[in-house]
Amino acid sequence: MFKAIIDNLKGLYSLLVGLFITGDFFLSPQKTTHYPRKVDDPETLKSYRGPLELVPADNYGNGKCISCQMCVRACPGHCLTVTKGDKGKEPKVYLYDFTLCCLCAACVESCPTGAIRFSHKVYMVAPTREALHLDLIADLKSRATKIDPMGTKAARLKVAKAEAEAAKAKADAEDAAKAKAGPAGSAGAPA
Amino acid sequence: MSGFNFINPFGVREDPGSFVGDRYTDNFSRKARRDTIVLNLGPQHPSTHGVLRILVEMEGEYILRAEPVLGYLHRMHEKMAEVKTPWQFIPNMGRVDYLHPISWNWAYVGAVERLAGIEVPERAEYLRIISCELNRIASHLMWWGAFVMDLGGVTPILYAFEEREKINDILQIVTGSRLTLSYFRFGGVSTDIDDRFERLTREFIPYLRERLKMYKALVTDNIIFRRRLEGIGPMDLDLCQRYGATGPILRAAGLAYDTRRDIPYGLYDRFEFDIPCGPSNDSYGRYLLRLAEVGTSLDIIEQAIESIPDGPIKIAKAPKANYKLPAGETFFAVEGGRGQVGVHLVSDGGQCPYRIKLRAPGYSNLSLFAEAAKGTLLADAIAILGSLDLVIPEVDR
Amino acid sequence: MELSLLSFVQIIIACLLIIGLMVGNAVIMVYIERKAAGFIQRRPGPYEVGPRGTIQAICDAMKLLGKQLFIPGNVDWALYFLAPVLAFLPVLVLFLPIPFGKYLTTLQVDDGILLILAFAGLGVISNILAGWASNNKYGLLGAARAVAQSVAYEIPMIMALLAVVFLTGSLNLTAIVERQGTWPWEWNIAYQPLACFIYFVSLVGETNRAPFDLPEAESELTAGFHTEYSGMGFALFFLSEYANMLLVSFVCATFFLGGYRGPILDGFWWTFIKAYAVMCVIVWLRWTFPRVRFDQLLNINWKWLLPLSILNLWVTAIIIKFID
Repeated sequence: MFKAIIDNLKGLYSLLVGLFITGDFFLSPQKTTHYPRKVDDPETLKSYRGPLELVPADNYGNGKCISCQMCVRACPGHCLTVTKGDKGKEPKVYLYDFTLCCLCAACVESCPTGAIRFSHKVYMVAPTREALHLDLIADLKSRATKIDPMGTKAARLKVAKAEAEAAKAKADAEDAAKAKAGPAGSAGAPA
Repeated sequence: MSGFNFINPFGVREDPGSFVGDRYTDNFSRKARRDTIVLNLGPQHPSTHGVLRILVEMEGEYILRAEPVLGYLHRMHEKMAEVKTPWQFIPNMGRVDYLHPISWNWAYVGAVERLAGIEVPERAEYLRIISCELNRIASHLMWWGAFVMDLGGVTPILYAFEEREKINDILQIVTGSRLTLSYFRFGGVSTDIDDRFERLTREFIPYLRERLKMYKALVTDNIIFRRRLEGIGPMDLDLCQRYGATGPILRAAGLAYDTRRDIPYGLYDRFEFDIPCGPSNDSYGRYLLRLAEVGTSLDIIEQAIESIPDGPIKIAKAPKANYKLPAGETFFAVEGGRGQVGVHLVSDGGQCPYRIKLRAPGYSNLSLFAEAAKGTLLADAIAILGSLDLVIPEVDR
Repeated sequence: MELSLLSFVQIIIACLLIIGLMVGNAVIMVYIERKAAGFIQRRPGPYEVGPRGTIQAICDAMKLLGKQLFIPGNVDWALYFLAPVLAFLPVLVLFLPIPFGKYLTTLQVDDGILLILAFAGLGVISNILAGWASNNKYGLLGAARAVAQSVAYEIPMIMALLAVVFLTGSLNLTAIVERQGTWPWEWNIAYQPLACFIYFVSLVGETNRAPFDLPEAESELTAGFHTEYSGMGFALFFLSEYANMLLVSFVCATFFLGGYRGPILDGFWWTFIKAYAVMCVIVWLRWTFPRVRFDQLLNINWKWLLPLSILNLWVTAIIIKFID
């Protein structure tokens, strides 16, 4: 009888302790992040896996992809479509269906050139299902900081190659001119 | 066409009062007495944690019989394993049990490694242990909040979420996701930890130890909570062993069986930790045991983060997506938050495994419910169900 | 009491004011409750609708008004619609004898507390009807619980109030307030702390609030007796729940906390401040404790509250006898 009374008094005390704890939390600051007005710590976004994006190789909007189909074969959700271009190794089409993607990084880890990575688009929304069918090449082009006057990477490489050849020819011509001037000149040049 | 009913072409019974139910309800009600109520608890019920359905026969508020009905969340994970290459199946393991996905990661990756004879670098083993234990704490915290919510206290779950968010932040650094983690790879782990991971983990351990004191004062010592749980749903050792229950339920019944200690895997034999056992086999004992396990996990993390060696996190020639398993058969078991998680893998040397059997602890643990709930009040049955710590996706797979 | 035309008009006006008070109280209490829950759980609570979420409750009420009146199959529709109305109506009568201020009483009756206790029992009938008529097993279980709980907790409640009535020698609420002094140590809570405690516990049980919210226990019975109600049917139950809470808080303020008398400037504001303080404590309890089990709920009542209240009554009677 007395034991029961003492037990119940102790129980009442435990209830008071509980009330004080919640009362304390009532007065202490809130822990939630008020989303539209405040955003999360950008530090946590560095590891966030958003939809895939292509890694830019330069500032002209060109990627590193060589259309080897490794990512397409590795993907468990069949969410990638990569088609090779007419000339060169660059892909013509790189389609990505975000609705099927499980963000498992199989494609990222199987890519031999490191051409794809996860973006950190946390606040991405889509009004329709179709809006989640992403064209990654168009996305890559939209992120280019410089406009490529030549249009494609292949054309630019061709021009670069031609320029390099012209420079080499010029250098050769100079060398030849120097060789004409005297054999001593060419021997002393490296020093 | 003479018997065709134009108003009710599909032959639906016209009088809704005569509607009895589906096959399960019919079979169950056939055995019921005439003066009892057959109640469908679920599949949409606030305290069945998802889509578990339980048929109960009640006399007043006392439960005479209970029968769980499964299959509302069956997603064919075992069949999917047969049509995917081993690498492609890894993301599935994050979806089987969304509260402790790392244990399933480990069970599957471990089975493949055992079959293929792959050795894992030491640093990777440490990272596996740290992430697995952090995830186990998150799982137990989530259970703690949901269990108290089953008993009517709504507030504690939001306190548990504060800690869970911290763990999610830590695990996001290495896994990139917050719920369906797939961190393990054959022969290692996917990413290495950085300074921020180490700093946050070191800060988290003393923080959680302080918070556990608050949990004790707010909930564990609360008289209402104790009176609701003490002596409710005793599951003795014999019953647990007959039904194949593992994990906290078995340990609360008095058998200190833990896969981490009894069938060592990874590098668990390097760490000092005790397997909590007891104090009683009722709901309150299971509650206390899970909170004690959080302390055990904290001990392991503390030792691991202090002694983590340098080195590679993945073997040099890690299997890729097109990796073919050698022919053979193997079984690998790890200790999950809810009990022993096992993967039985059979391969015939083809592109995909021949057959995979996933041993879900929740499935065995749920089968104890029908026995334990007999003769209890409805409110007690809810408490017993909560103390089993069920995750329905894992039960149904 | 004579019912003249003047007093009739007075009662009509007061009833309209009381209906306004009930609706206003529900709106304010929903806001207070959700904000308190938010702060205790370390989140802001309602925030988006209106400045700091102040008109959230009004918008919720509008939503409930606009919802379809849904009748599930095989319900007894007459009882089904009668139940929420019946829950709402008696509350109007209960507010009649409450002295908000010294002269601010709708109906000055000598047996005020008797009137309140007599009509308070009517509320449970609506719960039975709701649970029975909605043809739902959860509803039926909730209704059965509501009856047992309400019947049980009325007894210690009456016993606790009776101790104060002994002290005052009157059933008139104004007389009870007038007997108490202006300072807290002159209130009845100082003379009858045990009765106050018993009354407080029983009022939580009587109004079906957590931790004694068994008839609508969410994790067991989904929503108990109002499982099948939506829209306005649910809103009326909701309204009557908050009105009942307000009523028992007013009775608590009148009997134990000095009513409209306060340290400075007596007036109806003191009644309101005290009643709302009691309500805030009830809200605080709800967001702190888990729910008790049903047999425990009855054990608390029959094994502890009832013997204690009888003992308290007995001691009070003896002391009064000897002092007089």
